Amino acid sequence: MKAVGARLPRYDGIEHVTGRTTYVDDVRVPGMLWVKALRSPVHSAAMSGLDTTKAEAMPGVHAVVTHADVPLLEYGHLSALGIPADEPLLAKDEVRYKGQPIALVAAEDEETALAAVDAITVDFEERTPLLDVRRAFDDDAPTVHQWGNWYTHFEGEMDRRQIRKGSIDDAFEQADVIVQGVYRPAAIEHVPLETQVALVVPEANGRLTIYSCTQALYFSMGVVAAHLQVPLNKLKVVGGTVGGGFGGKVDTATETMCALLAQKSGRPVKWRWTREEEFLCSSTRAPWHMEIADAVTKDGWILGRKMLTLHDSGAYARFSPYGLTKHSFHHTGAYTIPNLSFDGFVVFTNRVPTTAMRGFGVTSVSFATETHMSRIADVLGLDPYEVRLKNANRVGDTSPNRIVYTDPSTVSVVKALAGGMDVELATEYAAMTRDPREGDLLPAHLVGQLGNPEDH
Amino acid sequence: MAKHTGRGIAAIEYPTGMNQNGDPSQAWIKVKPDGRVDVFAGTSDIGNGSKTIQSQIVAETIGVPYDWVTYDNSNTDSSPVCTGTFASRATFVAGKAVEKAAERVRGRILDIAGKELEIDPSDLEIVDGEVLAKGAPQKKIAVPDVAAAATWTYGELITGTGAQLKPFASIVDPETGEVDLPPHSAISYAACAAEVEVDDETGVVRVTRLVQVYDVGLAINPTLVEGQIEGGAVQGLGLGVLENCYPYYPSVDHRGGEFGSYLAPGFEDLPQIDTIIIENPSSDGPYGAKGIGEMANNAQPPAIASAVYDAVGVWVTELPITPEKVLRALDAKRAPERAGKTVVFDAELSVNTVAQGGITFDVPA
Repeated sequence: MKAVGARLPRYDGIEHVTGRTTYVDDVRVPGMLWVKALRSPVHSAAMSGLDTTKAEAMPGVHAVVTHADVPLLEYGHLSALGIPADEPLLAKDEVRYKGQPIALVAAEDEETALAAVDAITVDFEERTPLLDVRRAFDDDAPTVHQWGNWYTHFEGEMDRRQIRKGSIDDAFEQADVIVQGVYRPAAIEHVPLETQVALVVPEANGRLTIYSCTQALYFSMGVVAAHLQVPLNKLKVVGGTVGGGFGGKVDTATETMCALLAQKSGRPVKWRWTREEEFLCSSTRAPWHMEIADAVTKDGWILGRKMLTLHDSGAYARFSPYGLTKHSFHHTGAYTIPNLSFDGFVVFTNRVPTTAMRGFGVTSVSFATETHMSRIADVLGLDPYEVRLKNANRVGDTSPNRIVYTDPSTVSVVKALAGGMDVELATEYAAMTRDPREGDLLPAHLVGQLGNPEDH
Repeated sequence: MAKHTGRGIAAIEYPTGMNQNGDPSQAWIKVKPDGRVDVFAGTSDIGNGSKTIQSQIVAETIGVPYDWVTYDNSNTDSSPVCTGTFASRATFVAGKAVEKAAERVRGRILDIAGKELEIDPSDLEIVDGEVLAKGAPQKKIAVPDVAAAATWTYGELITGTGAQLKPFASIVDPETGEVDLPPHSAISYAACAAEVEVDDETGVVRVTRLVQVYDVGLAINPTLVEGQIEGGAVQGLGLGVLENCYPYYPSVDHRGGEFGSYLAPGFEDLPQIDTIIIENPSSDGPYGAKGIGEMANNAQPPAIASAVYDAVGVWVTELPITPEKVLRALDAKRAPERAGKTVVFDAELSVNTVAQGGITFDVPA
């Protein structure tokens, strides 16, 4: 029997539905300590006088760690992609978001750990937070980040991700109508049923066994090894089964700190976030601010797109420059638009750092460009299916990066959707294929821009 | 005071694998003395079904039953590198690595079977756990017997490794965005129609039906891909009308710290979901598959926003489309500003209105 294409039962389905899957929090080992965190109570503050001596002296407390215990405090998770390090594992002399971890306690039980956290003293000199990405560029805006209020390291030194193709000025000139709109999808939580959790066991041979809920075993191992400055053979990451991630468990949120506490205490340590911590302190999907102005003809051809994107990164860069680059590469969506002018900024604010989430970088731009497409159809009084088919990616068209599309399916999926909705398309649209445009439906004055694949 | 129905659509695309590539996955496979197959890969299964999908690819490629395959992704001592389960890459990239490893295992099985049958390995094939001579299927040897011969007669371990890596498209022109290499693998496409019911008294938007079309390349397991599409639809519905970490964004006040104060979709929110799968094979995924895990929540929000407009004539472009936002939009009855040939929606949200000159969005009137 064929295996590929078959509706075979899920490999681990019975374990999941009978509750027999072992997740990280199901693993209990003798002598295990429990972890709680001191987190910033404010959105932005200078910090001084961190004192953990009382906490360390409490009965049942086995280890306390702060920034001073981390061999490499700042490690750039995407340094391989040219994104420099900017975020300390534990706050050192300032806090930039409410919930930022400052110190961690490992104790005999969670109650003792919480009491010890309360015994840590620190002084905060509160500052006005920056929260609105639209105000980040103003002269009177508070400064959030060591690089300023927006990321300045695209291709080494660019302060924005930029796309330029064709001539946006000519497109605006030629347009019958210019349609402008603003799109702002919200931050949302990943809402995994399994909150962030790790268990680290110091082995007799000097290795650390890290039970992890990571979505990326080797990526997280690399993060821990970098902060601890140890070779990979000192670590064994155990995982591979995740109780919901959706992007949030690419963060390596707990593993490194548990490893530090395990090294310092010589005991196995587990840190499991409460639901409240998961909602309020874990990273979120980013909120985005997008403005679009499309140059269109009255019969629905999109000649050009000007776009401004402000990606609310929160207090640190994390994966946001990667996400914005991906966003920019896909800002024409399922369509071919010959003239482009895109500017995107990763903007820092005093909120929880944002991170990867299902559709990273593109969920936002799909919302903006597709809602805009519906608006264009409405403004021009055209059929929303036909406007989409007219501008669809076709074989031989090029992407914003000048990559030739070889097997686009815009035409197939839109036609299939019309079928599924019992919408009858006009004959010329019903007959459309993804094959290279040969002038079909294309007005003569656009052939030079859109119509001839050899020209791209 | 009435309920109004509306329809809206969206069409989207999404790349497979990390943006700009450069993200390896590796796998190795060994065969037990009775022909059962152990796969070691480093791909976390986050509910996306990668344990199942990769096991199916191995079974198909070697030619043995699915239930002969054991899949181990449990730790970094025994499993090789997988960049991770994100970027819609677990089937597409990591699945290709196990396919390549399985091809090598298949080759080793044929080599040893060739010795046992005294037939050139190129004249043999593996079907349902048996090695058969092509065109003369009565000449055959069971894969368990081949594995036993390898172990006890020839003193060999049947094994194979595979790796998949597309080169990192490292050069992006900072001015134009032009790239030196394709910055992604196969692109997947989808379209979605939303039907909504909007109550103009309460502002509540109820999504009643989602019709979804996905080009998946090839459905390695149709049940699992339907699960991805339906699960994604519910997450997209949450994005569209329910979820928000900062209910009064950009304010950080009123954050919800528990399920009771953060509205994730529940069963009562589920619409009718109709799924249409199209298979336009990719050239470089395993068996022509593409990755659609992530894009599954991208098409619903714009389709829903368009359907709300169709129902009650207001555009709500700050997600989620809550009752409060619908009622405020109905009260405001805001029309776009027209100047010359320019039609400007949402001027009140623009940097041109809110920023104090630090940043502008300039468009010729």
